[in-house]
Amino acid sequence: MTIEVRNIVKQYGAFKALDNVDLRVADGELLALLGPSGSGKTSLLRIIAGLDWPDAGEVSFDGENALARGAGERHVGFVFQHYALFRHMSVFENVAFGLRVQPRAVRKSEAQIRARVKELLDLVQLDWLANRYPSQLSGGQRQRIALARALAIEPRILLLDEPFGALDAKVRKELRQWLRTLHEEIHVTSIFVTHDQEEALEVANRVVVMDKGKIEQIGTPGDVYDNPATAFVHSFIGESIVLPVDVSGGQVKLGHRPLNIDAGGAVGPSKLFVRRHDMQIGPVGEGALEGTVRRVRTFGPIQRADIALSGDDTLVEIDAPRDRPLTAGDAISLQPRRYRIFAGQE
Amino acid sequence: MTITIINSPVTVERAQSVARQDLHTEPWLVRGIIIGVAVMFLTVFVVLPLILVFSEALSKGVGFYLAALADSEALSAIWLTLITAVISVSLNLVFGVAAAWAVAKFEFRGKTLLVTLIDLPFSVSPVISGLVFVLLFGAQGFFGPWLMSHGINILFAVPAIVLATTFVTFPFVARELIPLMQEQGSQEEEAAISLGASGWRTFVVVTLPNIKWGLLYGVLLCNARAMGEFGAVSVVSGHIRGETNTMPLLVEILYNEYQLVASFAIASLLALLALLTLIAKTILEGQIEEGQLPRDD
Ligand SMILES: Nc1ncnc2c1ncn2[C@@H]1O[C@H](COP(=O)(O)OP(=O)(O)O)[C@@H](O)[C@H]1O
Ligand SMILES: [Mg+2]
Repeated sequence: MTIEVRNIVKQYGAFKALDNVDLRVADGELLALLGPSGSGKTSLLRIIAGLDWPDAGEVSFDGENALARGAGERHVGFVFQHYALFRHMSVFENVAFGLRVQPRAVRKSEAQIRARVKELLDLVQLDWLANRYPSQLSGGQRQRIALARALAIEPRILLLDEPFGALDAKVRKELRQWLRTLHEEIHVTSIFVTHDQEEALEVANRVVVMDKGKIEQIGTPGDVYDNPATAFVHSFIGESIVLPVDVSGGQVKLGHRPLNIDAGGAVGPSKLFVRRHDMQIGPVGEGALEGTVRRVRTFGPIQRADIALSGDDTLVEIDAPRDRPLTAGDAISLQPRRYRIFAGQE
Repeated sequence: MTITIINSPVTVERAQSVARQDLHTEPWLVRGIIIGVAVMFLTVFVVLPLILVFSEALSKGVGFYLAALADSEALSAIWLTLITAVISVSLNLVFGVAAAWAVAKFEFRGKTLLVTLIDLPFSVSPVISGLVFVLLFGAQGFFGPWLMSHGINILFAVPAIVLATTFVTFPFVARELIPLMQEQGSQEEEAAISLGASGWRTFVVVTLPNIKWGLLYGVLLCNARAMGEFGAVSVVSGHIRGETNTMPLLVEILYNEYQLVASFAIASLLALLALLTLIAKTILEGQIEEGQLPRDD
């Protein structure tokens, strides 16, 4: 099933939570929706699920207007950030819920329902918890039950709203892998919301980056990391060194120091973005920037150094391989291997 | 300027542990006095009156007591009280759930006003509540002439008693449910709807089980008040013997006529109701707490 979202606007009072959002999700795709908290991810998901209505715009599934249908008729599986399991029902009854409320004409027999629930609990590897209540489960188990419950109705679309947001790092990592594998098995069109860039890049084939109710960039994980379309994407995905520069007559200046690098079309006050590992360290006089090493830490294959830039003593953090040992007090030069300059100081 | 840090963490900790010690080494005399005062207060104001009610009711023997309760006026008052309670509690059950649902699960204009209105019966004297109905349905009242010309009796009859009781007891259910439902949010309902359940089904199998103990608690308090209400009912009842006297009204009438045993016999029933309510309330409070316990996220 394809999902098509066109020019969606959602307002709360005068505040635009979604501002002209356009999005297409291909059949069977697992798409990650990535953005900081408050960027409108949940609002968009709720509109697709039919739990909220947009102020303007269209949503269609396989070319058919979805806004004409209520949430119950869209066959969308929704996994909530805080699980939303039915607290007074056992795990079994939670998963069976969607099957039990089907109209009589299509409802399965009790035996069929039992078999299907068993199958789903096996799928999420929690069949041994069938008789427990939600309050007796760990966070990770609850979220897997919530997923099984959403899958019970054989949804045409699966929406996951920060499903692993409330879990600790180790469990998140396991579930991420597990979700990937699960998606390869069942291939339902899915949107996975997260504010964790690593999670988005690891789980999805395509990533949509949102900020302030707008889509900033859509691309593969490699794309958004290597070729960020906007300053926001560059600073949100992967860690970057950001320096305020001024571009005039094709010349890039940091303070009064010309950097001798290409401005790439930016004019006026701009920002220079460089990934931490894209700074080449060299002897003084051989790079665009110069500075003094303040502090060095080593982890595994890299060393991370705080460098105070000459001039105004701005501190930048860089990652360098360990084959060129750095010590506090060294005077060095820095040359960005790859960088981007975005106009504007905001 | 120099700043001296006096409250270093160590000193604070010391101060706290000293305070804690003090609590435990409070002289036993002081503790004894405080507990004694509390117990004495409860005895004089709560236990003693209760005992007096029962001892007065039984002062001429069980036979007299039972005869007083079997009196036709007494039976009619008990019956009227039960009917009134059943109707007004049922109405408030429906209104209360609806109001709490609207307030807790939806955003709309005028919500604060609605919440204030729900509390109105608590902030108005019951006598005033009764007078409102006199002004509405009395002979000179707003609807009075129309009702009279159609031969409908509301004031000084059962309908007014039910209406006044319903009005006075309205807040119990709603006030109990609003914070409960607000705390629970509407995510479970949304999950149910998106799994294909109808609105009614969602209410019955998802919402209702989540609020059942709170709801029962509200109904219990509502019922206790409905049966015990005096002020508002007194204004609208008309005190027609054997017809429009509820139990609390009859207690007063008999007392004024110096029929002390009969008066206290009826009063003992109300006291019994209060005791039962208290016990049920304690049990329910335990259930509500249990239902809310294990939420670790
Ligand atoms: N019911 C609501 N009423 C008012 N503002 C809301 C409501 N829901 C969301 N918002 C606002 O809309 C913005 C986007 O919210 P949301 O979609 O939840 O963001 P995200 O899921 O990306 O954190 C936020 O600034 C939030 O405060
Ligand atoms: Mg959200």
